[in-house]
Amino acid sequence: MSATDWIVLIATLAIIVVYGLYKSRTTKNLEGYFLSNRSMPWYLVLLSIMGTQASAITFLSAPGQAFTDGMRFVQNYFGLPLAMIVISISFVPIFKKLKVFTAYEYLEQRFDVKTRTFTSFLFLLSRGFSTGISVYAPSIILSSLLGWDIFWTNIVMGGILIIYTVSGGAKAVAYTQQLQMVIIFSAMFITGYYIVQLIPGVNFTDALKVSGASGKLNVITTGFGENGFEWKDRYNIISGLVGGLFLQLSYFGADQSQVGRYLTAKNTTESRLGLLMNGLVKIPMQFFILLLGALLFSYYQFNSGPVFFNKGVDEKVYQTRYGDSLRAIEKEFVVLNATQGRLSASYLEARKTNPVNSAATKDSLVKVNMQTDRLRDDYKSMLKKADPSVDTNDTNYIFLRFVIDTLPAGLVGLLIAVIFLASWGSIAAALNSLASCTMVDFYARFRLKHSHYGAEDAIEEKKYNLSKWFTLGWGIFCIVVAEFSTNMGSLIQAVNEYGSLFYGAILGVFLVAFYMKRINGTPVFYSAIISEVLVITLYILDKSGVIGFGFLWLNIVGAMTVVVFSWLLHKINRTMPGTVLQQDT
Amino acid sequence: MLQKKNVPLFKKWWYWYVLLIAVLILLIVFFDWFTKYFS
Repeated sequence: MSATDWIVLIATLAIIVVYGLYKSRTTKNLEGYFLSNRSMPWYLVLLSIMGTQASAITFLSAPGQAFTDGMRFVQNYFGLPLAMIVISISFVPIFKKLKVFTAYEYLEQRFDVKTRTFTSFLFLLSRGFSTGISVYAPSIILSSLLGWDIFWTNIVMGGILIIYTVSGGAKAVAYTQQLQMVIIFSAMFITGYYIVQLIPGVNFTDALKVSGASGKLNVITTGFGENGFEWKDRYNIISGLVGGLFLQLSYFGADQSQVGRYLTAKNTTESRLGLLMNGLVKIPMQFFILLLGALLFSYYQFNSGPVFFNKGVDEKVYQTRYGDSLRAIEKEFVVLNATQGRLSASYLEARKTNPVNSAATKDSLVKVNMQTDRLRDDYKSMLKKADPSVDTNDTNYIFLRFVIDTLPAGLVGLLIAVIFLASWGSIAAALNSLASCTMVDFYARFRLKHSHYGAEDAIEEKKYNLSKWFTLGWGIFCIVVAEFSTNMGSLIQAVNEYGSLFYGAILGVFLVAFYMKRINGTPVFYSAIISEVLVITLYILDKSGVIGFGFLWLNIVGAMTVVVFSWLLHKINRTMPGTVLQQDT
Repeated sequence: MLQKKNVPLFKKWWYWYVLLIAVLILLIVFFDWFTKYFS
């Protein structure tokens, strides 16, 4: 990185930290620390919700995903607007009316203390570890591309945000997220502009036509193959609408890192408006981020690019006896790359002048692209042979490699800052929510015997100070998890799969709470345990190859198991009074 | 009554929910056209 890049990077990060500290300097009580005194307008709630959901991986991985697999990933978000409607109708009014601090606090009022504690524990278990991976995921990418030591990158990535998150709480999280989102969107827009500008003689529409010819603009896919519906297929319109609905319901309705964001709103109207606006803008936003990857694909059709995008791995393996074989593949790739450029230009020309011939040119282009894909696979196999410990999945590096190799000084620093800011947005919200659950659902509940965390009391200041320590403790925990997260394979997949193991059961408990008014706590508690056992069993069977089951479906199975078993156990309980399922008193 | 007064832009929240579903349907229709046009 140049000196200009360093200045831009450090200045951007410093502005965020100072702004966060400045904006939150009046926060001195627990409601202010965890819920911004319930004073936020809808647009800050919206930016906070978006900043929490969009991690660095969203901005790094999504363009790479479109580059390799096409844009069909966007279907994953089709259930989100529907989830926003359900949450606005059922979840928000109850949470706001009861003035809860955490979503799980409501479960004690609706069911009993064991159901609240179990659900909150599941949340801490899933969010604590996945936040650790959220620290590690961008760190490993930056370390590899810029040659930074991973140990220190983790500490900087997870450490600096602790300064304003610990001292400023939810208010600092919300205000910094607002600024972060503005910087992130500006940087992504400028990068998109540069990608199109750097393709010689090709305008925006032509760039799309080239990536579309190679199947990169496959936004809608049905998921049906020769043997009917493919359950293992991750991204299609059905799994996106149905699986996505359950995933987003779990995330926005039952995950404190999101519930904590819209509880900061000044009233029910502002909470709802923030959520509904998120339902309107999230899919187009994700579409444009993926579009960057599709445009990048066109860019590399006309310009020379690397066979493998993770530069750090290349350089290490060149020193081994496989170095010559790797260079031979690279030479072959350069020739194919030139053919790609020629055929892409011919295809665009044929589309304008002779649509009949364009089909033949398109076929040739597709064949050459398949050849380059095979060459990339050969290269990866060779890398694996040279060093079995190497991660050959370079999807996360595609976008950043373009940034570092191509963009002018200053913009590279800004894009690196974007990675930090996007990470901080989601990690800060997660730390705040982890601390609030630890304080409200465990410390205050069991140490101070407060079943509902309501009005201020005599030891308010003590709890406020202790909450800061909890935030710091979770921050350190996440950095430690990040330091131990090596060799976990594809990290975005790890985070999503790990979350899906717990989300379904947590959502199921909330669905019973809201929609099955006659069912009490004990059947729900045992159903949640049954659900967890079933989901983990299905996951293990899928991993060992016994069955094929996409992880998105685990959310539905988990939630529906809680709903169905709660109903069954409730019926059994009613017909057999005096059994083990009697309600706790 | 109180809820009606607090709904921004529209008279009822119900209209907001219809708007979201309508936008989702329009996006899917657009994406379907986009996929076919550029492939």
